[in-house]
Amino acid sequence: MSEPDAAAPPPLAGLFAEADRQLTICNACRYCEGYCAVFPALERRRDLTSGDITHLADLCHDCRDCYTACMYAPPHEFALNLPAALSAVRRDTYDEYLPRVPWPRTRRGAMLAAALAALALLAVFGLAVGGDHGTGGSGPAAGSPYRVIAYPALVAVFGLIAAWSVVVMALSAARYWRATNGRGLTSPAALAAALRQAATLRNLRGGGADCSYPGDEPSAARRRLHGFVAWGFAACVASTVAAAISQDFAGDPPPYPVLSAPVLLGVAGGAGLVIGCAGLLALRRADGRQPVGGDSAREDPALARRGYALLAGLLLLAVSGLLTLVLRDTAAFGPVLVVHLAAVAACFAIAPYTKFTHAVYRFLALVHDSAEIPESLLET
Amino acid sequence: MSAPESAPVGAPGGAPWDVVVIGGGNAGLVAALTARESASRVLLLERAPVALRGGNTRHTRNVRCVHDTGDEYTPGAYTYDELWGDLCAVGDGPADEDLASLTVRESASVPGWMTSHGIRWQPPLTGTLHLGRTNRFFLGGGKALVNSYHRAAAAAGVTVWYDRTAEDLEFTGHRCTAVVVSGPGVAGARERIAARAVVCASGGFEANIGWLRQYWGSAADNFLVRGPATNDGRVLAALYALGAEPAGQERGFHSVAIDARSPRFDGGIATRLDSIPFSVVVNARGARFYDEGEELWPKRYAIWGRNIAGQPGQIAYSIWDSKVNHLFLPPMYGPVSAASVAGVATALGLDADAVATTVAEYNKAVVAGAFDPSRLDGCRTEGLTPPKSNWAQPLDTPPFYGIAMRPGITFTFMGVQVTREAQVRTVEGGAFRNVFAAGEIMSGNVLSSGYLGGFGLTIGTVWGRIAGAAAARAAS
Repeated sequence: MSEPDAAAPPPLAGLFAEADRQLTICNACRYCEGYCAVFPALERRRDLTSGDITHLADLCHDCRDCYTACMYAPPHEFALNLPAALSAVRRDTYDEYLPRVPWPRTRRGAMLAAALAALALLAVFGLAVGGDHGTGGSGPAAGSPYRVIAYPALVAVFGLIAAWSVVVMALSAARYWRATNGRGLTSPAALAAALRQAATLRNLRGGGADCSYPGDEPSAARRRLHGFVAWGFAACVASTVAAAISQDFAGDPPPYPVLSAPVLLGVAGGAGLVIGCAGLLALRRADGRQPVGGDSAREDPALARRGYALLAGLLLLAVSGLLTLVLRDTAAFGPVLVVHLAAVAACFAIAPYTKFTHAVYRFLALVHDSAEIPESLLET
Repeated sequence: MSAPESAPVGAPGGAPWDVVVIGGGNAGLVAALTARESASRVLLLERAPVALRGGNTRHTRNVRCVHDTGDEYTPGAYTYDELWGDLCAVGDGPADEDLASLTVRESASVPGWMTSHGIRWQPPLTGTLHLGRTNRFFLGGGKALVNSYHRAAAAAGVTVWYDRTAEDLEFTGHRCTAVVVSGPGVAGARERIAARAVVCASGGFEANIGWLRQYWGSAADNFLVRGPATNDGRVLAALYALGAEPAGQERGFHSVAIDARSPRFDGGIATRLDSIPFSVVVNARGARFYDEGEELWPKRYAIWGRNIAGQPGQIAYSIWDSKVNHLFLPPMYGPVSAASVAGVATALGLDADAVATTVAEYNKAVVAGAFDPSRLDGCRTEGLTPPKSNWAQPLDTPPFYGIAMRPGITFTFMGVQVTREAQVRTVEGGAFRNVFAAGEIMSGNVLSSGYLGGFGLTIGTVWGRIAGAAAARAAS
C-alpha cells in the first residue's frame, strides 16, 4: 500500500525475498541479538537491499542457535529458518560472483575444466618430463620430491595453478565487495577486529551458548574442529613456506629430517586437517540423522553437499600429504607423491568454485561488520 | 468430574508419581525442577509437541527482579521499594498485598536460581527503551530458556510427557489422587495418572474466546491472542468446578497493542507495536482517545490492549511521521506510508478528513520543547483533550506512516487463590491439601488490572519454586 518511490530499489525476489521476509520478523523480535554479529548488523538496517542480505548471509557462521531459540520456527506459521534461508543466499551468491566466461557456462563445467587443465599441466610439464634421478649419486636424495618432478617444473606448474586460483577468487571477492557496498579494508581497526574474530571463530560461540550442532544440543565441537581445519591448513601452508626458505635461502634441499620446520609444520597441519575434517564430517552425519524442530533442514541442501565435498577434498590432501612423509623411504613414495601432487593441483584449481571461498567472503563480511561498529565499541 | 475408565497410571514401578506438574511453561518447569530436589518421581505434562513446548514462555524475553547492585546485564540497582512502587503504579495495584510483597521479595534470588539451572544472559536488547536497568534479558529469549530448563530437567531426572492435555483432577476425600489427561500422547481417549501432589501451572484462559466473551461480550471476537491457541483454561475451569476460590478480576489481563494483521494466535513479540508514544493514536472515527505519552513505555505499553479493547470495533490506528520512524522496533508487517496524513488515513481505510482534522488540532496544541525519547521529556500538548504529556511533536515531516492495531492478549489474570505455600484455596475457606498453583493461573493474586513488563516471569519463577517445594513436601 506504500506509494511508489522513484529511488526505491527493485523488489527482492526468490531467495532474497524469503530471506527478507524472515529477517524483517527477526528485526521486530531481536531475541537472538546476543548470539552473533548478524542480528546487531540487521538492527543497523531497516529496509534491506539484496546487498545487505548477502552481507548478513556471509556474516552468518551457521551456528544455528537462532533456529533452536526461535519460537517462530516450523511448525509455527511464520516458518522462520534463518540458517537455511541465509545458507541458500550464500550458495546462490557464491555462484553469482564467479567470473563469467563464455564457456563452460556452469559451475560444474568450470570446475571440471579447471581440474582437467591443472592435471594436464602437471602431467605434461611436470611428470612427463620427469624428475632428476641423477647420475653417479649427484641428483636429489632418496625421498626427495625432485626425483619425481623437477624443481623448476614444480614451481612453474603449482605457481601457475595457485595464481589462477587467487585471481579467480579475487575477481569473485571484488564483485561481492561491490554488491555488498563493502567497507573497512583500509581501516586497521576493522581489519584487526575481523582477524581476531576469524582466528577465534567468535561468531561460533553463540554468546556463550556454543553451537546448536549437531541436532539442537549446545556443543563447542564444531568450533573446535573448525579450528583444527583452519589452523591445520595454515600450518600446511607454513610448512611449504618453511621448505622454500630452507631450500632457496638456506641452501638446504629436501628431504628434511623429522625435526625440521617443514616436516613438523606439515605433520601438525596434516594431523590437524585429518582430525578437523574427519570430526566435522562425523558431526555432519550425526546432524543429518537428527530430527530437529519439525524435521526442517537447517542448511541449503546444495551448500551442505559442498560442505561435505570441501571436507573430503581437504582430507584427501592431508592424508596423501602425510603418506608421502611416512612412505618417503619406500618404493611407494613415487606413486603416493604423484597422487598427492595431482590432488593438490586439482583442488587448488577448483578452489574458487568450492565452499573453500566461504573463508574469503566471511572474512570480508567481518571486516565490513567491524567497520560499521564505532571503534570504541569494537571488542578487543 | 469424569468417571474413571481404567486404573491410574503410576510411575515406573507402579507407585503414584510424587509430583505431577501440569504445564510446561516457565512456572511448570521451575516447579518440576524444584520438586525434583526432594521428590524422586516427578512428572511434567506438556500439552504441546516438543517443537512447540513452553506455552507463553516461548514468547518471553526478560525477567524483572529486585537487585541491590548493578552488574553487566542490569546496570544499576533496582530496590525492593522501587519495584514495589512500580507494581503499585500499574492498574489498580497489587491484588493481594501480602502475596505480591512476597513475590517482590523472593524475586531477588530469581536470577541466581535461573543461572544455576542453565539460563544464560545477554545485555538489554537494542531498541527496548528503559528496560535495561530493571529487567534481565536471557540469551535467545523464551524458547532458549525453555530448552535450557528441559536440559536441566532431563539431567535431574524429571520425566516429561508431551502431547498430554490435563482435563481434570480426581479427588479421594480432600486429596487429589489422579490427573485425567487426553491428547495425542494418550493411548485411549483418556488416561488417569496417579499423583501424590499436583502443581497446576497451566496458564490462563486467554485463548478461550468463548470464556472471554462472558466478560467482554462480542468485543472478545476482535481480540488477538499472542500465545498458543492451547491456553484455553481447561485446568482452571476444572479447579473452579472442584470448588477452588477465584482470584483476580474477570477482565484482568495483560494486553498490548499489536498489528491488526497478526495471526489470531501465537504471533508473539514480533507483532507488537512500540510506535505509540511517538505517534498520534486515533480510533475508527478518526478521534484521539488516550494520552499516548503518559509514562515511560515499559510502564504503559500494557494498558494499550485495554485501551483499544474499549474503542469501537476494538481497533485503533497509530500514525507518525518520518522524524520518529527510527525510534522503535520496525513492525514486522511494515507500516503503510503516504506523502500526507490524509493519504495514510485513506490507506488505512479511515475517514481522511476526520483524521487530518484530528492531527491538525494536535499539531496546533503541541508546545515547543526539547524532544528526548530516553526520558519523560515534557514535550506536551496544551488545551487538547485528551492531552499528550510527553514526546509530543507536530506530525509535519513526510512521509507519514500508519498501522492498524488490535488488542493482543498475553495472558488473563483471573485464576485461583493460593496460600503463601501456593496451595489452592477453596470457596469453603480452606485449601486443597495437595494441589498447588504457580504462574499465570494464580497471577490474579498479585496483579489486578495492569501489568509490569517482565513480571510474569517473576511470578512464574517465584511461585514455581514455592509450589514445587510445597508439592514435594505434600507428597512425602
